[in-house]
Amino acid sequence: MVLTMLAVSLLVFAVLELNVDDVAVKVLGQFSTADQRQAWLRENGYTAPFLFRYLHWLWAFITGHWGTSTYYREDVLTLLAPRLAASGLLAGTALLVIVPVGLVMGVIAGVREGSVVDRLVSVFAIVTTSIPEFASAVFLTALFVFWLGWLPGVSTMADGFHLRELVLPVGVLTLYSAGYIARMTRSSMATVMQSPYIRTARLKGNSLMRVIVRHALRNALITPVTVIMLQIPWLLSGVIVVEVFFAYQGFGTLLYQAALNTDIYLIEACTMVSVVVVVLTQVASDLLYAWLNPRMSFKAAERPAGAK
Amino acid sequence: MSEPPPANTLRNNDGSELHPAVRPLAQNALHCGADRRSVLRVLSWLGVSLVSARAVLGVAARAVASNAPRQGGTLRFVCSVQQMTDPAATTWVEASNLFRNSVEFLTYVDPDNITHPYLAQSWHPSADLKTWDFQLRAGIRWSNGDPFTVADVAFNIKRWIAPESKSPNRTTFAAITAIEPLDELRFRLHLSRPICSLPEHLYAATCPILHRHFEAQGANWPRNPVGTGPFRLTDYHVSRIAVFKRRRDYWGQPAWLDEIRYLDLGSEIATHVAALAAGQVDLLYRLTISELDLVKRFPSMQLLSEPSAQTLVMRMQQDQKPYDDVRVRKAVVLSADREQMLRLAYRDHGVLGENHHVAPSQPDYFRLPPVRRDVAQARRLLAEAGYPNGIDLTLALGNTQGRYEQDTAQILQQNCAEAGIRLSLQVLPPAQYWTIWDKVPFGMTYWAHRPLGIMVLELAYRSGSVWNESHFSNQRFDAALDKALGILDPHERSAAMGDAERILQEEAVMVQPYFPRKFTAAAARVRGFRADPQDYYRMDKVWLA
Repeated sequence: MVLTMLAVSLLVFAVLELNVDDVAVKVLGQFSTADQRQAWLRENGYTAPFLFRYLHWLWAFITGHWGTSTYYREDVLTLLAPRLAASGLLAGTALLVIVPVGLVMGVIAGVREGSVVDRLVSVFAIVTTSIPEFASAVFLTALFVFWLGWLPGVSTMADGFHLRELVLPVGVLTLYSAGYIARMTRSSMATVMQSPYIRTARLKGNSLMRVIVRHALRNALITPVTVIMLQIPWLLSGVIVVEVFFAYQGFGTLLYQAALNTDIYLIEACTMVSVVVVVLTQVASDLLYAWLNPRMSFKAAERPAGAK
Repeated sequence: MSEPPPANTLRNNDGSELHPAVRPLAQNALHCGADRRSVLRVLSWLGVSLVSARAVLGVAARAVASNAPRQGGTLRFVCSVQQMTDPAATTWVEASNLFRNSVEFLTYVDPDNITHPYLAQSWHPSADLKTWDFQLRAGIRWSNGDPFTVADVAFNIKRWIAPESKSPNRTTFAAITAIEPLDELRFRLHLSRPICSLPEHLYAATCPILHRHFEAQGANWPRNPVGTGPFRLTDYHVSRIAVFKRRRDYWGQPAWLDEIRYLDLGSEIATHVAALAAGQVDLLYRLTISELDLVKRFPSMQLLSEPSAQTLVMRMQQDQKPYDDVRVRKAVVLSADREQMLRLAYRDHGVLGENHHVAPSQPDYFRLPPVRRDVAQARRLLAEAGYPNGIDLTLALGNTQGRYEQDTAQILQQNCAEAGIRLSLQVLPPAQYWTIWDKVPFGMTYWAHRPLGIMVLELAYRSGSVWNESHFSNQRFDAALDKALGILDPHERSAAMGDAERILQEEAVMVQPYFPRKFTAAAARVRGFRADPQDYYRMDKVWLA
């Protein structure tokens, strides 16, 4: 895990800072003179060898010295923290909606494979997941803001937190990913429902509801959990489109702005934060697997014979 | 209508002797058919009281809203919140509209281009227009309690014209040789050449009067937002929000609004309209042509519009290959179909440009023979210049005002292809374009409206001026500007401007396709706000119903 982070950090650093002249250009602007760049590089310790600079940078990063944004002229850490919290709020709210909606739809469809409900859920899921967020954001805005006038059009939260302002961004995110989870759950559920132990449970006279909740769901959840855990990093950094469209002041907007302004230290920090989030969710999903499927173990030697 | 009073009732704001040109100008307007508004404007430069000038010329002030303004409320304004560390060096009009709430100017130019007293209560020029006496308003205090005096003004003007100054004011006011304080509230400006429109130039976005200790206290205005204006800055985060609150101890009539919140909602204007439709904001900074139909469909929104001399300039740097060859520049200019650009990219909501950056709506505009497109001639010139098989060029642009910039550039691309010029477009994000706008060899730059044509020529094309993005340097042109700056009579002045315009066309400095009309939108409850052609917004008279 730490190794992954180190490898990625080295990659990030190499991509952005291997060529020191590039760094100077990014900080001082495209048309700064060669003298200015040289002077700046000397002053900021860019004459040292690459590996040394990398270690120095890594240490600064670990100790919370993330540099100053070249565009906002503010400390990167103070800039990043509230944005990360805002995106966390959006992502958390979205997950709270996406997961139940996706799971319920998937379970309903999977239990009665081939039924009308199943067909409806499948069609709905395929349609919503194939509409990109920028398109559904426009549709939902046209419908709920311009036509019906029910919801706010932007989500700046400029006057403090408003739940109403979260509705549209969360709606767009849900539309996009709930269908995906539903499809995963459905196919997984359908497989599980045909397995002998479910038949046995049914034959023992258990109600369908009880069989689903007590026996099928836990096994059927393994695939959707992977998908859900993959949604977390996506929700945090991949929702740039949604955040920018609704002017939501989150991590995605910040990363977008940083990229537009080639704000090098901010880009580095954002990338590193994304790496940490991805790695942490991977660990969390591994732990969840272990809980869902006790046969799965991290110690290879203890794996029971015959387990796939 | 009653007969206007005779010209001898004209008087100066400070009671001093009228400038010798004042009475003949008024006579011209009254009896020889000269345009009265243009004359009124010139009289306002010369320090003549507007009340007396309006009465004599019979030009009424624009009617003000009839119902009484209401005190209070928070106005939410969608506007980019940009860096404004040094107001004198700012390149963004948006930023200037933020600090305009807190720092003030010596003069005020209204949307009709009439110059009014502001921090300066009155002024009068000498007969040769080279010595100007200004009288400051008494009793003004800075928000930190210090009295406002000549020392503040002297600090600013000296700072503008200092050789190391990064402000465009350095060249605009290069003619100022000395500022001579007469007492606490009076000073005299000495000029090396006559500038009759000096008071009007003093309201440029980069001319706010900062506190005399601005540099001593860190030269960072948002960190230490001292001002004389009706609002004070209370919260400021670049790209996010800026909040101004009303000052109760303001020297003039206090503002109606309690608070103004500038919200940065990014560059997607459709999003701004959505926020307006949902009642989350009250006022947009601008609309582009793409959102026009959407806004028209909402009766709850006010669509505000004003003709403007704002424009797009596709200029070529004269010291960069291959643009150092006038034949190459001419080939590009001759290929361009400006009518097509106006029709397709801006749906005809504007006025055609003539490649010299002076708009027909500006009073000093001089009509030259129409510019014609000539692709065959463009091809010939290109061959003569050594490119018989065509040439590859790159135009940089940033869509800083909206997508119509790129649409315009694409039309140029197709126009150029007909003449064998293979033009590629380098489209940058807006913020990035503003870091290179004056450095790229061939770029499309948006220029805001200026009340006078000469102001923009002075800023953008005089040799060595700070914002001279085309690196144009021409002594004949500079001399033409000097000549025009000294002429008071609007008619004669415009004739002198003709020379400057002609030189810009002959030298093929730019393709300047059209002057787009300005649009913006507001919520129904916003009152007292008028779209300003120049985008200079004073918010102290705005109120909420």
